Amino acid sequence: MNYDTIVIGAGIAGLMAALGRAERGERVLVLAKGHGTTHWASGCIDLLDAGDDPLGAVERLAAERPDHPYALAGAAALERGLERLRAACEAAGYPLVGSPRRTLLLPTAMGALRPTVLVPATMAAGESRQLADGRPTLIAGLRELRDFYPPMIAANLRAQGFAVDGVYLRLPPTDRSKEFGPMIYARLFEREEFRAEIGRQLAEHVRRGGYARVGLPAVLGLRRASEVVRDLQDRAGALIFEIPTLPTSVPGARLFHALEEALRAAGGRLQIGSFVQRGEASDQETGEGAVLVAVYSEAAAREQRHGARRWVLATGGVAGGGLRAEHTGELRETALGLPVRAPASRAEWLAPRFLAEGGHPVFSAGIAVDAALRPLDAAGRVVYSNVAVVGGALAGFDPIREGCLEGVAVATGYAAGQL
Amino acid sequence: MIDHIELSLTQSLDHCIKCNICTAACPVAAVTDKFPGPKYVGPQAQRFRHDRQPSPDSSVDYCSGCRVCNQVCPTGVRIAELNARARGQIVAERGMPLRNRLIARSELIGRLSCGPHAPLVNFGLSFKPARWLIDLVMKIHRDAPLPRASTYSFRSWFKRRRRTADRRPSAVSPSSEKRQVVYFHGCSTNYYEPRVGKAAVAVLERNGFEVILAEQNCCGLPLISNGDFATARKYHEANVRKLLPYVRQGIPVVGTSTSCTLTLKEEAPEILGLTSDDVLAVAKGTYDIFEFLRELAERDELNTEFRPLERELPYHPPCQYRAHRLGRPVLDVLSLVPGLKLMESRADCCGIAGTYGLKTEKYQIAMDVGAGLFEFVRGSGAELALCDSETCRWQITHATGVPSQHPIEILAEAYGIER
Repeated sequence: MNYDTIVIGAGIAGLMAALGRAERGERVLVLAKGHGTTHWASGCIDLLDAGDDPLGAVERLAAERPDHPYALAGAAALERGLERLRAACEAAGYPLVGSPRRTLLLPTAMGALRPTVLVPATMAAGESRQLADGRPTLIAGLRELRDFYPPMIAANLRAQGFAVDGVYLRLPPTDRSKEFGPMIYARLFEREEFRAEIGRQLAEHVRRGGYARVGLPAVLGLRRASEVVRDLQDRAGALIFEIPTLPTSVPGARLFHALEEALRAAGGRLQIGSFVQRGEASDQETGEGAVLVAVYSEAAAREQRHGARRWVLATGGVAGGGLRAEHTGELRETALGLPVRAPASRAEWLAPRFLAEGGHPVFSAGIAVDAALRPLDAAGRVVYSNVAVVGGALAGFDPIREGCLEGVAVATGYAAGQL
Repeated sequence: MIDHIELSLTQSLDHCIKCNICTAACPVAAVTDKFPGPKYVGPQAQRFRHDRQPSPDSSVDYCSGCRVCNQVCPTGVRIAELNARARGQIVAERGMPLRNRLIARSELIGRLSCGPHAPLVNFGLSFKPARWLIDLVMKIHRDAPLPRASTYSFRSWFKRRRRTADRRPSAVSPSSEKRQVVYFHGCSTNYYEPRVGKAAVAVLERNGFEVILAEQNCCGLPLISNGDFATARKYHEANVRKLLPYVRQGIPVVGTSTSCTLTLKEEAPEILGLTSDDVLAVAKGTYDIFEFLRELAERDELNTEFRPLERELPYHPPCQYRAHRLGRPVLDVLSLVPGLKLMESRADCCGIAGTYGLKTEKYQIAMDVGAGLFEFVRGSGAELALCDSETCRWQITHATGVPSQHPIEILAEAYGIER
């Protein structure tokens, strides 16, 4: 079936682009190999790890590094994209709080403080300015949830000068006895009787310790998180905040659901589990690169062909699976085989030191694009006139080290939705 | 001989980054911890499975084979295939319980039940004391949805019809000019629901095809999912022998049972490790009927002389259809029928998974897995639900009381075909 726009990749960048196109009245399909990096990340929106005014820092960065995705998309696209994302989360009953002009510091599951910008309201009460108000904080968890250690989190926060204690709660009786991943907890927390028992234990701790707020692992409901947190606050008699866990990330899945719902409401469709492995160009000469007419996704017994007028590539970088290292020592873009801008040889991928100040060159590899986000070859010529590349697949930035993974995804995804 | 499929499965293990997205999405792990989740029994336990060594863990038997794990995996690990093979290894070691041996022979049971005596069989199987006894002795759950046998088989209807047509040569034009398709009806259409096959034949004929009723046998899926690979291999090889002459002539094989077509296309070759050219030719030549019709529509060859159907119906895309990785061919094709509106179910699975939900120890798990779907169907208020897979239809009707049909029956109605 023919679409106006097909987006490849279902992370933040791809869904933002798809939403933008669908809201312009286009027929839109999202193709993705599986669930995206949303489910691996914290569920917060980082813009740039650079001081108190992230948007100001983005504007300065854009002026200094014209090849940076922020420079190509523009700070205005970032601001408007953030507004659209907030509206989608708001509509899903899962508001995000924060301002692009202010950096927030939130505790991690290690008890470190991590800079970010927009956070779900369910995490807001853990912001460092609140932790520093002199009133004590409790971090609580359950032994059955792996990789979340309240005493360690509390000790690390105390070492940074905050008044924090850590306790384990008793697991309320459930029909489960073995498996307690984050998503299982999220479902348990949506049950009233489970919350009631947790709430009773928290109220007891709050009464004895005089805690103003309680930090819990970010597993407090999947579809009804705001409601779960409100209910626990009432029961505990203290503010509740969530701390991101190791994957699978429940807040990440909520973000995915909010964008998915917005896209479906705008008439867009998603096809998850379909790995795009090649494209088909028309032989028509445009003077500005070839025209991509179809892509092929892997399917049972034979490929499925998908046709569209316009395309958005949002498959991520090395971590997201959009770029793969071949045994030949080359990086390959997996969906369309686009030219990858990368260090000239395998030996230059990594700096000698693991924690090298400047990061590792390979993590800035990606697809070079022009101002309209169209892919370029090594000589700077447009490869496809009707393809936009967004998010982690782009060259010229190191998303993790710069702390701008989500911000770039929002800015470029939003921009591709408006082109 | 190197088993290339085994090799690719083993290599796909190394793509697992333990993110647990599969466990978070698994509909079985969500409702019971008898199944610890796809990551554990798949890529993790696989490290401990070796030839000539006993299987380390039997919890893989609680995998329903729905393949949601494959669909959401961001790194392309082939979890469902690993699980199917692990179950096969357990059965090879320990043998197969009599109950599983019986319910895996859907063709034999169908042949024994179908015919003029069907009302007697149906009465017997709806007679509560008999079901209690079967539950007690055979461990087939007394409430599990068993299909009602037909008083005539689809094949007998087709042959009768052809004989009638032969006497009136003008009714069917000479075949030489006509495009031909082979119809793969599967056991359920043949013995329980001939109406599905009648609708399929009528729709294909409306599109100018001559329908050939090739010799065929059970696709072997119930044997695969119960772990009897040796017998399943024989079944599949027999089907390949019977279908190959048509496929070699370029005549497509089209089926209405999504699980049969998936078995011919992929499950049998991959899980059973059958890789001959003949097997692959049959795989490549097989289509689910809506996949086939959608391809006609994409080439503007679909007969679209539909009469309007002012109906709004819930549609559940079964797991086995999603495993074809083709999107939603039913929605694409039925969207061409004026007035008809389908509400797409977003539930992962109905729970039944072929024979899984019939088993006494798994019946409740299957009902819990399907709870979201049942709520959706009941909440729709519609008098009819649509689903491509027969066992899913029986499960939906069992749980909700809402009658269910194959989407091809609605399409036949849209063509104004009297039945």
